[in-house]
Amino acid sequence: MSAAAADTVEQLMGRVALRDHSAFKVLFDHTASRLLAVASRVLLDRAQAEDVVQDVFVKLWNQAVQRTPSQPCTLAWMCVVTRNMAIDHLRKRRPETPLQWVDADGDEHQHDVADAQYSPMEQLLAHEDGARLGSCLKRLEPEPRQAVLFAFYEGLSHIQIAQRMQKPLGTIKAWTRRSLMRLKGCMEACA
Amino acid sequence: MNWYQHHETVDQLAAAYVLGTLQGPARRRFEALITRKTLLRLAVDDWTGRLAPMLTALPPVEPSPALWKAVAERTAVQDSAKPVPLWRRIFSAIPAGALAMGVMVGVLAPALWNAQLGGDPQAQLPASYVGVLGTAEGKPGLIVSSLRHGKSIDVKQVVAVPVPQGMQLHLWRIDTEGRVLPLGPIPSGKWVQVPLPEPAERLFAQAVELAVSIERVDDKPVAPQLPFVYRGLCGKLWK
Repeated sequence: MSAAAADTVEQLMGRVALRDHSAFKVLFDHTASRLLAVASRVLLDRAQAEDVVQDVFVKLWNQAVQRTPSQPCTLAWMCVVTRNMAIDHLRKRRPETPLQWVDADGDEHQHDVADAQYSPMEQLLAHEDGARLGSCLKRLEPEPRQAVLFAFYEGLSHIQIAQRMQKPLGTIKAWTRRSLMRLKGCMEACA
Repeated sequence: MNWYQHHETVDQLAAAYVLGTLQGPARRRFEALITRKTLLRLAVDDWTGRLAPMLTALPPVEPSPALWKAVAERTAVQDSAKPVPLWRRIFSAIPAGALAMGVMVGVLAPALWNAQLGGDPQAQLPASYVGVLGTAEGKPGLIVSSLRHGKSIDVKQVVAVPVPQGMQLHLWRIDTEGRVLPLGPIPSGKWVQVPLPEPAERLFAQAVELAVSIERVDDKPVAPQLPFVYRGLCGKLWK
């Protein structure tokens, strides 16, 4: 979405705060496909992703009036809200789906990041707005970068990442903390 | 020094919050503080902007037609093709920040007022209507108040807006149905008192918001002809 379109989100949200139904529909048409992409990426389940996006829009509608002017009101913000709600949804269902499991046929499965064609790195690097972040992510060591991606896209806690990557908890905490600060430094240097 | 005044700590916590690794009670405490501590909110906004491309770069996924239908049902949006009323089209000219500020201040002002009174149980303000209206720039701009059964309003201009010659400020009330009804012109000035054509209770009882536009001096508009320059909630200061 371009900067002009991002401004549109801001303006539409202002009108939604006034209970403008037509503006709400336009906001939905502008953003639903992007939010559904986020929820689908986290949940890896289209039906549940639609449920989450539905909840996001209902929340936006219900809470629009309470928003303060200082709160960001952009597509980026909506994507983060969607991701957080998708992760909440994921955490509720997670006990039903262990990280590794064996099905009735004896085949081993592992809940993991999506396949290469949905590689977040590739998508970031290909995307105009995400190229800088993608470039900086690429400079991280592979394992710390993977830890960051596990946390961001799958909502895994430090402990869960440690289990997934079979590394000490302290190592995971240090990786994520240092990786984030290195990302910040890299992105500021590239600005 | 509290941790939330320490820039580096705030930055690390905000990063963990946006990444999603700040969890449990720590996350809840952090979220509670975000709304009150500017430094925290700014840090969270920074990290949101920094990491959001990981989300916005994802290829769009077209929703099913059922998704909008479900959203519309849950939000009682029955007819999205309904024409937008004039007042809403006028509102849309005001930046979202100003709209939200007006709403926020309108909500908070009565609460803060009551909170202040809470410190002195003997103190009692008379039952009043109070509107705190924001400017188009999102700043507190105008305070309108009246005794509940009063026959005049007091208007304090916190931030003045330029009124061209031959024009004047015009006060409007907006009711729960979204109807905009004229209350009459108000003179410019830092503090002015304006007589009301009817008792305040009759004029403001149904008002959820107040707004001010600039209109021609000779006109008696039944609907705003120009965008609102101030807008905010109308609160009732009594139990």
